[in-house]
Formats: sequence, structure tokens, C-alpha cells
Amino acid sequence: MSARNRELLGLLPASLLIVAGFGAVFLQERTQLDDLSLTYGAIFLGLCFAAHMIIRVRLPDADPYLLPIIAVLASVGLVMIYRLNETLARDQAQWFVIGLIAFAATIILLRDYRVLERYRYLIAAGSIVLLLLPRVPGIGQQANGAYLGISLGPVSFQPAEFAKIGIIIFLASYLRDTRALLVSRKRFGITLPRLKHIGPLLLVWGLAMLMLVFIRDLGSSLMFFGGFLAMLYVATDRLIFPVVGLGLFGVGAWVLAASVGHVGDRVSAWQHPFDPTLYEQIGGSYQIAQSLFAQADGGVWGQGFGEALISVGDSPILPAAQTDLIYAVIVNELGLVGGIALLLVYLLLIERGFRVAVLARDSFSKLLATGLTTVVALQVFVIVGGVTKVIPLTGVTLPFVSYGGSSIVANFVIVALLLLISDRARREARR
Amino acid sequence: MLQPTAIVLQGAFLLVLFLFVAWVVRSTLRDLRRPDELRAAGPAPADATGIHSAATVGGAPAGGGEQRLVVERAPGHTPGMEYEIAGGAVLGRGEQAEIRLDDPYASSAHARLVLQGGRVVLEDLGSTNGTFLNEEIVSGPQPLHQGDRVRIGDSEFLFVDC
Repeated sequence: MSARNRELLGLLPASLLIVAGFGAVFLQERTQLDDLSLTYGAIFLGLCFAAHMIIRVRLPDADPYLLPIIAVLASVGLVMIYRLNETLARDQAQWFVIGLIAFAATIILLRDYRVLERYRYLIAAGSIVLLLLPRVPGIGQQANGAYLGISLGPVSFQPAEFAKIGIIIFLASYLRDTRALLVSRKRFGITLPRLKHIGPLLLVWGLAMLMLVFIRDLGSSLMFFGGFLAMLYVATDRLIFPVVGLGLFGVGAWVLAASVGHVGDRVSAWQHPFDPTLYEQIGGSYQIAQSLFAQADGGVWGQGFGEALISVGDSPILPAAQTDLIYAVIVNELGLVGGIALLLVYLLLIERGFRVAVLARDSFSKLLATGLTTVVALQVFVIVGGVTKVIPLTGVTLPFVSYGGSSIVANFVIVALLLLISDRARREARR
Repeated sequence: MLQPTAIVLQGAFLLVLFLFVAWVVRSTLRDLRRPDELRAAGPAPADATGIHSAATVGGAPAGGGEQRLVVERAPGHTPGMEYEIAGGAVLGRGEQAEIRLDDPYASSAHARLVLQGGRVVLEDLGSTNGTFLNEEIVSGPQPLHQGDRVRIGDSEFLFVDC
């Protein structure tokens, strides 16, 4: 079976998920089965088919599993968000369509993604501006102490989601040129690059620290810096870089946790979620404790679609259920089995991403695919790790599943870039 | 209270999810067991010398025949044009360069090809924007092998040795 037919076949499970999921939710909420779920499944299949046709025409050799995987993730997300709130689900469906348009535009307009290298400094500068926008008075918004969103009239979005793509593109291009120089000089038996080569890398560390200070969000800062270290490791094959980098990040994060109140609160909430004073405190450990209760309540097989207790009257039992805590809702309703299935799908997505990097021939493509995949992987780790109390909870979205417009659009662009790289790599490999 | 049909639907939901995972894993494992896709892709560009050794050469021994640079893309050149490297050549934007580059990113004497014991060696002549061998910056003399790509600014050449 050819790669493209395989992709087409892979879209069927995603639409079956929509049909079964919406069917179950309808049944729970209205006590009757509605054939509307079939209609939704058909619309979803139609949209994915359109994306498939664009890939079939423009990228005939691209990886066949990436699109089915994100379709499955998006369908799980749409079902869960619909189950939480019908209006939000309608919004999310619109964002899904906008994401698909961005996906198609990236594939069609970016005939040769290597032109991105030519504009790397412009892309880097643009990304930094995007990151700082939420602090601009008038358009910036603060949520739970972190500055992540901006609002322009009726539209509000999180610029960091797009900035991360720009920074990865810049780093891939920059490291492509300097990777040989970074390891060329040895002093006292260890690799010690010259200051002028390591300068921009220190700048990235500074930027991550700046993000911690200005945006006050540990999650996205960890995502950026982790992606950067992974690329640095792939570019140089020297373990010393990520080790030193993690050390630097640790020091910065520790200093910040001790000095910035809202970061410190998150850390103590993570350490003692069941402490009664923290639990009662506003911005305390209520959210993480409730998330743990919900997951424990789910058991192995789950409570069933529509059974999770989201709120009593106006007071939320699971705060931010459609964004931060969506993983906890999924585990509550579908059980450990459902949670594992979802994580396995993410694992496959990341495996396919790294496979694109392995197959790519030139350093820029390799580094770009590595960076983009690592950022998605870290995003899943940050939020799933947060709600399961592995690391302090910070609000990032679960890619393709959580409610959130900028997140889904940015992630679609990431997958489009991976497909572009994969198409070139696999076509060259066949020759 | 859960309805029996809802339980069935939820079971179907989970089943589809796991079947999908199994399908992708199975195909991935099959790809891994059949490594020709990877082998054809060759190793990382860092040791690019081996990339084309099995393909395209057609078994001709290296070093004895004619060695030439084929233009892949370069301003002022038609792709497919060939330069023979008889006793070496200088690439650059200047008048005295044997291979003239009409490229704003090229220095006047940008890089040099010299013949050393039947091997063509590429060397950067302290250019401003660097010379790239298989998209790696060249720092020091680099012996060329069949299928290597030499890039200077927007000009790209393929090294052919047969």
C-alpha cells in the first residue's frame, strides 16, 4: 500500500472516534442516541480528507502517519470539550478549521522551507517581539500571574505559541552554521568554544530567564529551553552542553521560585497539595489536588463519558477543565486505559517526528525536525507532568486536545513543517 | 447512571484508539526491520563521504577518472553545466578565479580546489560567508568524494568523480 493510501486509511479511526465519542456524550446528556454524531463524524472526515488531498498533491512522499495521528488527537479533544461545554466545542471546531487552513497555507506557500534560513534574524527578532507583546499595556493580559495572552479587539491569542516556532527555526539555522565551530576548540581536555561562538547561546539562556521574569511562566520557558538544549546536543554530540544548560536553568528557576511570589506558590502547592491551608488558599493547591482526586476516581476503566463532576453550581470542582486539566477529565471518564491510550498516541507522534529528523539529509532539516518535535514532546510532558504532580503545574495546553485557538493553529503549523521536511528527506532517500 | 449503550460506545471508542496505536506501531516496527529506507538515506552529513558510495557511481573506482564540479544552482550559470578540475581551481567572484561565481555572498577568492595524490581537496580561502560541504561549514582542507555538495552563498555544486 502506498504511503498516501495508508494516510487515507488512517483517517478513518479518527472519524470513528468522533462518531462513538459524540454518540456516547449525546446518550448521557439527552438519554437518546442522535444521528448528529454521524454527521459530525462525516464533517470531520471531510475536513481531514481535504488536508489529505493537499498533502497528496504537494507532498507525495511525506510521512503517512503524522496526519492520522493529529486527527486522532484532535477528535479526542473535540469530544472531551463538547462534553464539557457545547459553546466552547463550537469555538474549538472553528479553530480546528482555521488550524487546517494554516496547515494548508504552510504547505502550499512554503515551497522550499529552506528559504526560512535566509530570514533567520528577522524571524528571531519577530519571535522575541511576540514573546514580549503580552507585557505591552493595553493589549496584554495577565492570567494567574503569568503574562501569556494578548487581546486585539475580539480576538485574543497567545503569541508564545507562535514565537516558539520562530525561535526553533532560528536556532536550527544558527546551529547549522556554528556546530562545527562549537566543538572545534579544546582546552584542558574539555570542549570550550570561543566566546563569540557561544555568545548567541548564552543569549538564548538569557531569553529563557527573561521569559521566566517577564512572562512568569515556568512551563513555556522550560519548553523553549529544553528544545534548545536538545538541538544543541544533536548539533554537537557533546553531552556537556545539555548538562551545563540544565544546571543553568535549574539555578535560574530556583532563584525565581524563591523571589517571585507566584512561582513560589506553585512550587509549594506542588510539594504539599493536600495541606489544608494551601488547599483553601486562593491560587493554592486546590487545582492540583482536585486533579489528583479526579484521576484516582477514574480508576482503571473510568467513570464513563459525561460522568466527571466538573462543577457544583457555580463553584468549579475542576478549575480550567477544558485547558489545563483536560488530561485529568479524560482519565476520570475513560480511566487509566484512556489516559494510557492518549499518551501512546503522543509517543507515536514524537516517534514519527524524530524519524523525520533521522531521515533528513542536511543539518538544517535535521535540527529543525528535532527542535519542533522536542518542543511538542516537552509541552505534553509539562502539562501531563503538571496534572499528575510530577512537576509543578503550569498552564500550557495539551497539544491538539486542549481548548485553545493559538495552540491548535501553531501545532498545525509545526506538523506542516515536519511534513515538508519529511517529504524532501524521503524523496531524496528513494533516489 | 450509565446506559448500556453508552458503555458499549465508550468501549468502542477505546478499542478504536488502541487499534489505531497498534496499527501505527506495527507499521513503524516493519519500517525498522526493513532498514533500506534508512540505509538509502545515508548517515549524518558529518561523515558524508559514504552517502553516494553505494549508489550512482556504478562501481567505477574513484581517483582515476575525470573529476568535475556540476552546477546544481548558481546565479549566472545554467544547472547541469560542468567544470573539469584538471589541476585544481579557485572559486570566487574575482577576475582571476577559474570558476567565476556571480554571487553576492561569494568573496573574490572564496575557496580553492587542489589535487593531492589523486584526491580533490576543498579549502576555504578565508571567505566572509564561508564554504559549505554537504551543508557543513568547511574549516580546514576537506577531501571531496563522489556526490559531495559544495555550497557558496546561493551557488551549489555537485562533485562528480568517475
